[in-house]
Amino acid sequence: MGRRVAITEYLDVDIDEMKWLCSACGAQLIDADDNYKKGCLVHARDPREVHNPVFEAEYNFAPDPAWVRIIEFYCPECGVQVETEYLPLGHPVTHDIDLDVAALRARVDGGELTIVDKRMEVSR
Amino acid sequence: MPFPTAEEKLAMIKVVPPEADELRCVYALGQGEYEVGFERTNNILDEAMEVFTRSSRSSMGVAGDSMVALFTAQGDLANASCGTYLHAVIQPIIIKYILKQYGKNPGIKEGDVWFTNDALYGGIHNPDELILIPVFYQGELIAWTGAAVHTSETGAIEPGGMPVTATSRFSEGMNCPPIKIGEKGEIREDFLEMIGIFGMRAPQMVVIDLKARATGADRARKRLVELADERGRDYVVGLLRKMLLVAEEGARKRISSWPDGDFTCVNFADSAGIEMGLLRTSHLTLRKKGDHLTFDFTGISPETPYSYNAHVQAVVGHISNFVYEYIFHDLPISSAAFAPIDFVFPPNTCLNPDARAATSCSVMIATGVMSGVHNAFGKMMYCTQEMWRQVSASQGNAGNATVVAGLSQWGLPFADMPAYSLNSEGQGGRPTMDGVNAFGFPWCVYGRTPDVEEMENDLPVIIPLSNHWVDSCGHGKYRGGVGTVQIWVTHHAPAIYFMAISDNSKMQTPQPLFGGYAPATVPGISVRGADIMQKMAEGGEFALDAMKILAEQTVSGDWQYEFFGRSVRPYNLGDIITFGFATGGAGYGDPLDRDPELVMQDIKDKIISEWSAENVYKVTYEAATMRLDEAATAAARDAERAARLGRGRSYQEFEAEWLTMKPDDSLLRFYGTWPDAEMVAPVFRP
Repeated sequence: MGRRVAITEYLDVDIDEMKWLCSACGAQLIDADDNYKKGCLVHARDPREVHNPVFEAEYNFAPDPAWVRIIEFYCPECGVQVETEYLPLGHPVTHDIDLDVAALRARVDGGELTIVDKRMEVSR
Repeated sequence: MPFPTAEEKLAMIKVVPPEADELRCVYALGQGEYEVGFERTNNILDEAMEVFTRSSRSSMGVAGDSMVALFTAQGDLANASCGTYLHAVIQPIIIKYILKQYGKNPGIKEGDVWFTNDALYGGIHNPDELILIPVFYQGELIAWTGAAVHTSETGAIEPGGMPVTATSRFSEGMNCPPIKIGEKGEIREDFLEMIGIFGMRAPQMVVIDLKARATGADRARKRLVELADERGRDYVVGLLRKMLLVAEEGARKRISSWPDGDFTCVNFADSAGIEMGLLRTSHLTLRKKGDHLTFDFTGISPETPYSYNAHVQAVVGHISNFVYEYIFHDLPISSAAFAPIDFVFPPNTCLNPDARAATSCSVMIATGVMSGVHNAFGKMMYCTQEMWRQVSASQGNAGNATVVAGLSQWGLPFADMPAYSLNSEGQGGRPTMDGVNAFGFPWCVYGRTPDVEEMENDLPVIIPLSNHWVDSCGHGKYRGGVGTVQIWVTHHAPAIYFMAISDNSKMQTPQPLFGGYAPATVPGISVRGADIMQKMAEGGEFALDAMKILAEQTVSGDWQYEFFGRSVRPYNLGDIITFGFATGGAGYGDPLDRDPELVMQDIKDKIISEWSAENVYKVTYEAATMRLDEAATAAARDAERAARLGRGRSYQEFEAEWLTMKPDDSLLRFYGTWPDAEMVAPVFRP
């Protein structure tokens, strides 16, 4: 196991092994230079399952499934909901984090940054 | 016509390099003199802002949707007090335009008062009006001061300054390029008449607001001259330039500490003007390398045929709200903080439209950008010790604005966009806590929500209830703060005109963060012939509970459900004009990670519903005692995680089916080509 940096609430990057990891259970998801979403399980959810419509009408408090679905990304090992994205039907999933992990590792190795509790601090 | 191009405006945001004399003045500052002087400018600006707000008349002015600012002689922003950060970075464009175009004719002289409200030349949208005053000391131009506030009327085809049916700038009322409106410290009477007649739906508001801007800017000018009298000309010149240097150095240092990479967020809206249709309002790739940031908006939808467009600097203004609130909050409010930041806005898009485009609802099309910056910066900064607590899911950013107009109970013409309920949206969830309920107005973080009694005294309406809007938040480990709901009833007048501005009735713009959910959608609901006033008079069991009234229709009358954005129409005495909705903030983190006791507290506080506790948070409790059942809750959550593993498919399998789908063509009238949002045909603007 290498040095880990917390990138999101549920995602770490191992800067030595160059892997995305689930921070809830430690499962390896995919290579760090790839889209972490490709290492997750994915489900397109009807928004009415999550948003309480309160009353029945063409317009209420729940998004319209003809317009939008909630794309949920789960850790394939523990089922934690790593990320969500509200997308119109068929809209491509976003590659939201394209991190230059090699540059990050070089800055840590070079002493510019120090990892403290999985987060980076500028070295003094 | 020498109006500036998009590229020229973006270039004018950049700071003018220091002159040798300015650097001499900077180096002459003694130890501690900068720090003391910086604080002195804060005091000057706060005093001017207080004078400005107290002198304003329209709802937005009273609420503080405003800014007073100090600039160098070349026009770069050194420091400000607000209100709203919207105007922070973009006023330099207008000063630099005046210096370049009008330096000789009509000339820039002591006692001048300059004005503009035309976004083509550098503003946000035409209801945001600006006064600029040059500061002369012993005959030399040493600085500028400025005061900006959103006003209530521009003489457009609909009242309130943000017409939803405007199809070009020619239907937006007054769009006034930078112009000298006063000399020797006095505003010209002929200009006051002109702005009054453009604002004849609410002349007392627009004229008083104009004088309030001049009063605020002049108070800052007066104090700056006093400072020069006290400490010398060189001190003021050195102080203003030093603020630019400190802001740029601070910004570069902070940006440098973040990881390099591309961080992307995509946001949508469901309408332009009063027509429903999908728009990709933001497709932000935040590119960070070294001490430099690029905001690349390649991929946004084409410009719209209505007023839901924003000129490039207006988009930068919306970004500056986030930048000064969350990441550069400890730096001077200076345009130099944007020195290491560049922008890419493809032409003929909704964020870089043709010069003839209507842009009076620029603040609506920019909601995607406002939301996207939260996500992109959050994904960049979470890994840093210094900034991870500043990560936040998007604020509500719905801006469900309402406009009322007509003759008031005092016999006065009025047209106004009330800051209530608009200024009570919820904040986004954060890494260690929920967003604040009804925190304020995402466009104007220091703006206040006026008292209901103040509104009812001013306008022919009564607002029988204002509640937290249950479940309006995005759910999550840390949920967004909820917004509010009001009922607006025509009162003390036979009728009132009403319109509304919105774009989140079928789908929401904010994306959640790290596994949370987005806020609720916003329906347009009115009740003609409502008996709510009779029910209130009778008392009995009628409850002023918005969710109960909505769920059970406990008010009789003709209930109408539609898109929240509505063009102007009349409502009679006693009608429920609308339910006002201020949207909640987006959620942060997996809802199954939320402390079940917090869920129970939210039910008791009427922040979330029992429906959400059961369906989203999977919390089980004894209904009679409202006591949490920890074991049953843990079992329900384990079952939900197992269900996820059952229904989730591999990315490859999911994408193979998902990409074969497409929204109905009727929803894509504004979107552009699917899915890339390229322009299909140019907008026709006769």
